Amino acid sequence: MSTEAIAAERPKRNYNALFGLTLLALLVLLWVILSLATSSFASANNISNLLRQGSMIAILAVGQTFVIITGGIDLSVGAVVGFTTVIAAMLINAGVPVFAAILITLLVGVAIGLFHGFGIVKMGLPPFIITLATLTSLRGIGLLMTNGNSISINNDAFQEFSRNSFVGIPNLFWMVILVGIPAYIFLHHSRWGRYLFSVGSNAEASRLSGVNVQRTIYMAYTLSGLCAAFVGVLLASRIGIGNPTQAEGWELQAIASSVIGGTSLFGAVGSVHGPLLGAFILATINNGANLLNVNAFWQRIITGLLIIVIVYFDGLRRRGK
Amino acid sequence: MTSTAQELHPAPTLQPGRTILELNGLEKRYPGTHALKPVHLAFKAGEIHAIVGENGAGKSTLIKLLTGVMPRTSGEVIWEGQPAALATPHEAMALGINAVHQEVVLCRHLTVAANMFLGEEESRFGLLQQRAMVKDAQKIINGLGFDLPAHVVLGDLTIGQQQLIAAARATVRGTKLLIFDEPTAYLTRKEADQLFKLIRRLKGEGVTIIYISHRMEEVFELADRVSVLRDGTLVGTRDIAETNEPELVKLMINRSIEQIYHKEHFTPGAAIVETKSLSGKGFENVSVTVRAGEIVGLYGLIGAGRSEFVTTLYGRHKKSAGQILWQGREVQVNSEHDAIRLGMALAPESRRDQGLCLNLPVGMNLNLPIYKRISSNLLISGAKEKAEADRQIADLRIKTPTRNALASSLSGGNQQKIVIGKWLAHGAKLFIFDEPTVGVDVGTKAEIYRLFSALLSKGAGIILISSYLPEVYELADTLHVFRRGKLVATHGFRTADHEDILTQALAEKQEKQGGQT
Repeated sequence: MSTEAIAAERPKRNYNALFGLTLLALLVLLWVILSLATSSFASANNISNLLRQGSMIAILAVGQTFVIITGGIDLSVGAVVGFTTVIAAMLINAGVPVFAAILITLLVGVAIGLFHGFGIVKMGLPPFIITLATLTSLRGIGLLMTNGNSISINNDAFQEFSRNSFVGIPNLFWMVILVGIPAYIFLHHSRWGRYLFSVGSNAEASRLSGVNVQRTIYMAYTLSGLCAAFVGVLLASRIGIGNPTQAEGWELQAIASSVIGGTSLFGAVGSVHGPLLGAFILATINNGANLLNVNAFWQRIITGLLIIVIVYFDGLRRRGK
Repeated sequence: MTSTAQELHPAPTLQPGRTILELNGLEKRYPGTHALKPVHLAFKAGEIHAIVGENGAGKSTLIKLLTGVMPRTSGEVIWEGQPAALATPHEAMALGINAVHQEVVLCRHLTVAANMFLGEEESRFGLLQQRAMVKDAQKIINGLGFDLPAHVVLGDLTIGQQQLIAAARATVRGTKLLIFDEPTAYLTRKEADQLFKLIRRLKGEGVTIIYISHRMEEVFELADRVSVLRDGTLVGTRDIAETNEPELVKLMINRSIEQIYHKEHFTPGAAIVETKSLSGKGFENVSVTVRAGEIVGLYGLIGAGRSEFVTTLYGRHKKSAGQILWQGREVQVNSEHDAIRLGMALAPESRRDQGLCLNLPVGMNLNLPIYKRISSNLLISGAKEKAEADRQIADLRIKTPTRNALASSLSGGNQQKIVIGKWLAHGAKLFIFDEPTVGVDVGTKAEIYRLFSALLSKGAGIILISSYLPEVYELADTLHVFRRGKLVATHGFRTADHEDILTQALAEKQEKQGGQT
């Protein structure tokens, strides 16, 4: 029996390693095709634009992936982004130093994540429910706070940040690197990362092995909330307003990026680089479709089809075919 | 379709006494195990045929083959004179073979009536006739002599009552052969009596019953004939009138003790853990001491309170009374985390549900308890992680291509070695093994027993829980027998007969005290 297992295991592992490369190849292929098909795609301006478009979803997808690896889901991230644009805008307009305003906004994200952890661990609510509840409530709280209006941010330096570049690369993309590298080390080289996987694979076995399952769940949702609040700051900087209805549906784009990047919604399978690639594949499709004058409605359909195709092939791979 | 209770009752076509089901060399092999060796057996229409045997003797395999849950490896099944493939559960049901399982497999969220008619709902013009179904279901239930309402949600009933509903449900499906798998495990005496009444009534209507049980007194109360399985072999069939309990017990356990039981004796050291009159959910007043270098065996049937006792000791459940002394000092164990910090390790009963992260690599599973040790501050030392995993794979002789292979790709025995082996590197003082060799082949068993010796030689103590008597008998320095939540007898190494121990674990009436040590 063991010899069979050995024989079956080899090609599977290779395929597994190939998956990340396949995504990268898909991204490059899309870029090559679009460069040939349109004159404007390969321009520096458009590439910068594309990187900006993809960056925020990419950061959300990283936080989302931590949660999905534990076997959960965080539907609130889009609402957290919208809500935290309001927080950041109000703080900055109230004269709070930008640095402190950002820090407080991030802490709000942490608090929301802790609340999710509390709901799941202490109240026994399913992740889907508790994060769905905050999704709708946060939008409501934000609308109450702003009376339904947008808040214009009157701080040019804050807004400059998201438009500027550093060594030719948009600042927003640097933020992806700023989040991605610690996230990678955290997930793949720290024991907390290991515990995310083990809890997602088998919470009971992890508990019996001495893993603090509750703390691990708190951690996952807190990190997701933190990533979302960070994106909220970036979005506030980019559009210069605080508006609680911003980032509608971003949670689904983050989940889609994560899944396209090889994360299993059943938990215990995922990486940091996969969701990042997934987010930029989605951004490229949207960007390319715009340039090709494809009806914007088609973009959503294409995204849906892409999710089906990639997850289907990934499922085949996992079943060892 | 409107049906009355009368029409739904089975109408067996065969005369009592004729052969309804014949097994010709029915056999089942799994990779690595020969679960059922060729069985030749004929069941007579309208008889109650009991099947007894220890855990792992092949009883559940036999049921699964007869109900079409699993395909057989070879052999022939003759049903009412015709060969039957029994490839799917549906085919078995269509032939009139039904089973009532130990665990109720019905929809807990639906009403009793909805469950009774699941898949055969009464409807008129496409609309469910809910009221009619409740009425008919109630008629059937009353007809069977059960005092249960048909309109309530099934999950609101006790497990025992659900079991009765499951039995009642099986009777309305044109059943000719009904298999009961340890039906009384969760029943009160009163519920069990109701069930026996139902079984006798079905027999009176010509239904053939296969009754699987651990409980000897039930077998003698109900059955016409009894067959004994041991290690996958049918070792005998007796008329109930011509046999007695000692003979059946002897048939059940009389096996040659293979050389797999590797037993080294160490001089016991100081007490590692001691419980004083510990009580909790499912057990009461249990006092047990485990010293360094000894194996303490806990024997009893499933549900006798052994697992509940150790999970309480391990901090999973709250104790209700008594003390736990760890190395002579009283301690409070409020969580698994506390237990692990003290130096306990638990290899749980169900490795798939509780022991392993199946879709993670072997190496990660092995290192899970020791990540704290092999990481400096927050970061894991990659080199140490790899070295630890490889060393353990070599030490434990786990057959895996690499440490990166998924745990799910390994055989059951190798998976079990991970569940046990991951604690070796952790350096625990007390190891609790709950049914460590279930579903494991003989070779791996021997290796697992050798691991026990390795642990003992390092000064650890072991609590070994098993429902497989030879295992505890041949390995335990001290053997405690549990029955119904109580510690009923204590023996030294090989100081009692198998028969005595089995009687102590099973007996309801004789409160015989075994050789006290």
